Amino acid sequence: MTANYSNERVDEEIEALEAIFMDDITISYNDKGVPELVKTTIFPSTANDIKKQYVCVTFEAALPEMYPDCEPIVTLKNPRGLDDSVLNNLYSAMKNKCLEYSGQPVIYELIELIRENLTESNLPTCQCAVCLYGFCDGDVFTKTPCFHYFHSFCLAKHLLTTEKHFNEEQEKLPTWQKNTKGFQAVCPVCREAISCCVDDLKNAPPPKELEDAQNFSVTNELRLLQSKMQELFSYQKSRGGIIDIEEEENKLLLITNSSEDSPPNHDPGPSLVQVEENGMSSMNQKMKSDFGNTSLR
Amino acid sequence: MAALPRRIIKETQRLMQEPVPGISAIPDESNARYFHVIVTGPEDSPFEGGLFKLELFLPEDYPMSAPKVRFITKIYHPNIDRLGRICLDILKDKWSPALQIRTVLLSIQALLSAPNPDDPLANDVAELWKVNESEAIRNAKEWTRRYAMDT
Repeated sequence: MTANYSNERVDEEIEALEAIFMDDITISYNDKGVPELVKTTIFPSTANDIKKQYVCVTFEAALPEMYPDCEPIVTLKNPRGLDDSVLNNLYSAMKNKCLEYSGQPVIYELIELIRENLTESNLPTCQCAVCLYGFCDGDVFTKTPCFHYFHSFCLAKHLLTTEKHFNEEQEKLPTWQKNTKGFQAVCPVCREAISCCVDDLKNAPPPKELEDAQNFSVTNELRLLQSKMQELFSYQKSRGGIIDIEEEENKLLLITNSSEDSPPNHDPGPSLVQVEENGMSSMNQKMKSDFGNTSLR
Repeated sequence: MAALPRRIIKETQRLMQEPVPGISAIPDESNARYFHVIVTGPEDSPFEGGLFKLELFLPEDYPMSAPKVRFITKIYHPNIDRLGRICLDILKDKWSPALQIRTVLLSIQALLSAPNPDDPLANDVAELWKVNESEAIRNAKEWTRRYAMDT
């Protein structure tokens, strides 16, 4: 029967894939025991030198019932070091490969196709998530174990600042609340724990592309948007919709059960209001001064 | 004013060229670290139809430190207090330099869709949100209608 024949071809392909990729490939089966999903993470061929692999992507092929008479549904997930244009190229190359192999098992071909492409462009095409600029020839960059890329200069700044913030927060805590494990650096993108030698990183030069970046200037478009926003602000202010920080602060000094702003049927209980709102009041001083700085022009 | 970091310029350009739907953020004419922001209330939330003004300020060591963001338009929400301050982890200890102005504002918009009364900033609002959600939502809609409308 055709259906059985089709399964046989799939079974053979799966068997071959498992023999080639061994533990690096995962096959999921549906409740009838028919393979329905093939998944593997693909790295460039660098003779297994993991340190030289700068990009990777997870390949997932869903096998429709009619496969291989119809195409597998392929998805590329968790791309690392690859930007959208590279991914789009990979998708269209895979599409062509599927057409070429129409009616035949194609999964192995697709995996190898991606691997070849990754090997050719084994340099991160993404931006550094910290400075938002790319990686140029001569830039010193770091790849985290989670396959995210940063200029070493930018990563060093991140590590030094987060450690400083961590220590400042710890200072404020009573002994019993302190974190006994100490500071743990994390990847800015995915928050995986990372360990890097800050001293090495911080001596790296700043990113190259930064030097050629444009300057900021106010355009007419911007002015137009600003005046529209100002209109909205004035309208909402006329309807009492704008928070008046000073007025709210004065309200906080009073213990009231029914303020204009409270929902009518709700009685929050006076003591609660007092404790909470006095706390906010002191925070507000700080916030106001933070924002106050912004208006120094 | 000290030279503006390139990253801020790049973010500003992208915000203008590829605006996030439902969010506009434009720098102040005389202080490029200060942004005037409008977030539209998300669909199917009690804030639907509202245009909420916020202010966003990028501190000196941004992006190493989080932007400071505050609602300017009044809003009835358990995680936003009367002064417009926002209780959101990424603005505090969960800040990462890989976040941007656009992702911060998207998170704030998402907070409007998913109020979290278990981590309150406005205690009275959060309390009502827990004991009588339908009344709280009615209040939120009423505040949106009264305070956050466009001309």
